[in-house]
Amino acid sequence: MKKFLSLIIAAVIMLAAMPALAAASDIVAASADLNHEELLEKALAENGTFIVYGNTSRITTALEDFCKLYGFTGEGNNLKDAEIYTKLENEVNGGGGADMVMIQDGAALVYAIEDGLLVNYIPAAIKDSVSQEDQNPLVQQFINKVFIYNNLGDNVPAIKNVWELTDPSFKGNIIFKNPEQEQVNMNFLIMLTSEEWSAKLTDAYKALKGEDIELGGYKNAGYKWIAEFLGNCTFGSSDTTIAEEISKETAGGKIGLFVLSKLRSSTVLTDNLTVAEYDANAESYTVEPFSGFIYPMYALVSSGASRPYTAMLFIEYLMTDAGFAPWGSSIGAYSSSSAIAPNEGDLGIDIWKASSVTEDPQFILDNYADVADFVIKYLQ
Amino acid sequence: MELQLTNRVRMTRLSGKTRAWFTKPANIILLVFVILLGVLTLYPLLTLLMETVIVHSGREASAVRSLGLAKGDTTWWHFQKLLFTLNDGGAGGIRLSNSWIQFYSPFLNTMAVSLASSFIAILFGGAVAFLITRTNMLFKKFVSAVFVFPYIMPSWTLALFWQTFLKNTNIGTGTSNGIFASMFGIYAPEWLVYGFFPISLVLGLHYAPFAYILIGGILRNMDANLEEAATILKTPRSRIIRKITLPIVMPAILSTFLLTFASSMSAYAVPVFLGSPVRYYMLSTKMKSLMDTYSGQAYIIAGIMIVFGVAILLLNQKLTNSRRSFVTVSGKSSQISQINLRKANKPIAIILVAILLIVAVLPLITFAMESVIIKAGDYSLKNMTMDFWIGQNLTYLDQGDSNGILLSAKIWKALGYSVLLAVVCSLIAGTSGMLVGYGIAKRRGSKLSSAVNSLSFFPYLMPSLAFGAIYLSMSSHVPWLRGFALLAIVGSVKYLPFASRSGVNAMLQLSGEIEEAAIITGVPWFKRMTRIIFPIQKATFLSGYLLPMVSCMRELSLFVLLVPTSNTILTTMLMQYSEKGWAQFGNAINLLIVTVVLLLNYTVNKLTGASIDKGVGG
Repeated sequence: MKKFLSLIIAAVIMLAAMPALAAASDIVAASADLNHEELLEKALAENGTFIVYGNTSRITTALEDFCKLYGFTGEGNNLKDAEIYTKLENEVNGGGGADMVMIQDGAALVYAIEDGLLVNYIPAAIKDSVSQEDQNPLVQQFINKVFIYNNLGDNVPAIKNVWELTDPSFKGNIIFKNPEQEQVNMNFLIMLTSEEWSAKLTDAYKALKGEDIELGGYKNAGYKWIAEFLGNCTFGSSDTTIAEEISKETAGGKIGLFVLSKLRSSTVLTDNLTVAEYDANAESYTVEPFSGFIYPMYALVSSGASRPYTAMLFIEYLMTDAGFAPWGSSIGAYSSSSAIAPNEGDLGIDIWKASSVTEDPQFILDNYADVADFVIKYLQ
Repeated sequence: MELQLTNRVRMTRLSGKTRAWFTKPANIILLVFVILLGVLTLYPLLTLLMETVIVHSGREASAVRSLGLAKGDTTWWHFQKLLFTLNDGGAGGIRLSNSWIQFYSPFLNTMAVSLASSFIAILFGGAVAFLITRTNMLFKKFVSAVFVFPYIMPSWTLALFWQTFLKNTNIGTGTSNGIFASMFGIYAPEWLVYGFFPISLVLGLHYAPFAYILIGGILRNMDANLEEAATILKTPRSRIIRKITLPIVMPAILSTFLLTFASSMSAYAVPVFLGSPVRYYMLSTKMKSLMDTYSGQAYIIAGIMIVFGVAILLLNQKLTNSRRSFVTVSGKSSQISQINLRKANKPIAIILVAILLIVAVLPLITFAMESVIIKAGDYSLKNMTMDFWIGQNLTYLDQGDSNGILLSAKIWKALGYSVLLAVVCSLIAGTSGMLVGYGIAKRRGSKLSSAVNSLSFFPYLMPSLAFGAIYLSMSSHVPWLRGFALLAIVGSVKYLPFASRSGVNAMLQLSGEIEEAAIITGVPWFKRMTRIIFPIQKATFLSGYLLPMVSCMRELSLFVLLVPTSNTILTTMLMQYSEKGWAQFGNAINLLIVTVVLLLNYTVNKLTGASIDKGVGG
């Protein structure tokens, strides 16, 4: 019996004979200077369905427009970031799967690039309109999660300082998506423990309470804020539901930290919601020391791509006005290209970047083990 | 010379024996399946074990860098971190240690929920099975038709219903009132809406049809002579039930326990929706979040779940294998007697119907309602629209699809794929299950038979999510194992236990004398199977086809990593919509799934006379 089994297993392993590795990375490297026409010509010569993974739902709209424009057959897939990374890991060996990927969570991306799952491509046309720091890997847009509260009733949580949220009166009134379930939320918390943000939190504490912060057992002000903030949170299952719930007439006194673009949804009663930073900006104050966090959505070519030129063409397209259009119609999305105007009714990217916590992938990776271990204690 | 001769005699005898062994179809079946299942289940298991000691890329690699480890290295760190970090220097002591939070506490919750849901499933499903098969209760048809609804719905949709129905401003996020609170002004307490109780209840109700099908099948088919003999001897009814009926259904109760326990243990979506708001975590939810960060630890959790599943499986086998099997379908049989409920009939029937209306029909009505209103909670006419069903160009909604579900090409494509997948899985699993059942029953007691018996059950004990993850990594080495082929194989293997259980049950009930009679008259094996054995136990075998089909239609976690795209099958699409909070499309898709399953069931019923609600008994 054992012999039989090992024969079968051997047969399975024989089938595993690896197909030739896709040379997408070489093609991308060699295409750095191609202009639009050259790229288009090569893309049109490629065969098969053009497959895109993205963890933004509007990627499918962008892809449809793109395919209509050039006559490609495309397939857009809206997946979670972790699912995309898992799928890519398995596709890179066997080929097939995604040609192009749009993804968040810069910390995981560091490894995805290092492991050769994804290849960065900077379209020649946009080199001057995207700042250097957003080029490698290429940021297609920024997305922000900000403090938004229900403006009904007499207990409106119009905060001006994030330390207000740690007050016992906020217990059960803050809604946030469990940071274990979405890494960008965890990334935000990790960033708060950095020197820069813990210093800012220390100052903000003094500004609010008029006295110096006492750390007790906490390593710095970032840890203290995380502990007390999470202690007051209840956890929602998705940013859409959080937005819907906080906008209800019965939700007076509630505040959330969720994706600003959810306000576009027809199921959210936007009139009942106020964005903390909008108020602050209109009345020229700021929410101390941050009004939320902002993170990049990257656009890259998959190493296993069977249509690498189409992938590059699509990335180039996403950096144009037409390519950004699916996101450009409503608040909460910010192109990394200076050539694309900010969305109507929204603040500009510079204002948001100045008032938000931003991601530093290397800091997140270096400190994940410590901070995540700390964070889960306050999710209990 | 003499020696040579004896050797030759021995050789001839041996090859004769081997030849004789191979002339029995049961042996060949068992041999084929032991090899197939060995590869399809043991290989994934080995892969899983390997994953628990390997450093994975990403956050995990960063976390162990200070220990001098890099991606691909082997280490015990995952075990150390997950299981033995009970004092990490924090002020909270053991209760705030990493291992307690990430493993022991969710582990205890998981055990509590799995036990409670198994108990609910057996009690509720068993009671209904008894009432339907052995009493003259009213409304039998309605009860048996509606009872399986909660199983047809993807489990988390029942959880979502529970939440939308009972939520209120005093509990959870405390942001809005559900239907119950706004209609009656009664605010349900937190324990009723979130945490241990509702999770157990929802899972219990979801899996109650297991009990109903397995226990009901035996109750319906048992040989009336046994009870009649007791009745003639003036044994009191209660004693008959205790001494005859219960022992006969015991194997079915244990099977139900095993199935429900293993399913509840790895259920992911229900605890996410009903547990997260009150910080109630189970192993499955922890496994999912660890899978994204520290996957080594996630695989350990998967491994421990398997260990528990196997322990129950062994216990189950020990209890059922000890010569306590009952041939209940013999060559001669007579109608079983039904208990007259008399005065209790109406109250029992009405209570049961009421319960079913709440847990099986009300959710469907709610889904229908929620699929036509624009802003949740507002049930006025001007807030209603059929757009989510038949609308066109709905860009204003910005909810993933620009057409109502009945006009959406995407939905029809996914529906077609889901149905095809369910049918193929059911054909493979059902046929294999029947053959396995035949082999196991015929060679009962042999090593080969018990090996196949265990192997065929094994896939069910692997948590779906981990099973899917492993097959995904397997597929990256096997070029043809992609897309539909991959989903079909995974689905068939995973749901084989349903089919093999019905197969074994059907064969064990069947007295050997029936096939022997055919053998004596020289009827070949294939003809015996198709003309005698299958027709007699048709209903039981067919339930072995139906259960995998229904389960595939509403399966999520098994397929979520394996589908080429999230729009490939209806459930992944539905989960995506549920998670994004696109409630209307989500509810509409859910209703579509339920309707399609009912239609499939109805068609099978019309064509063959079998159906899921008639279950094993037919």
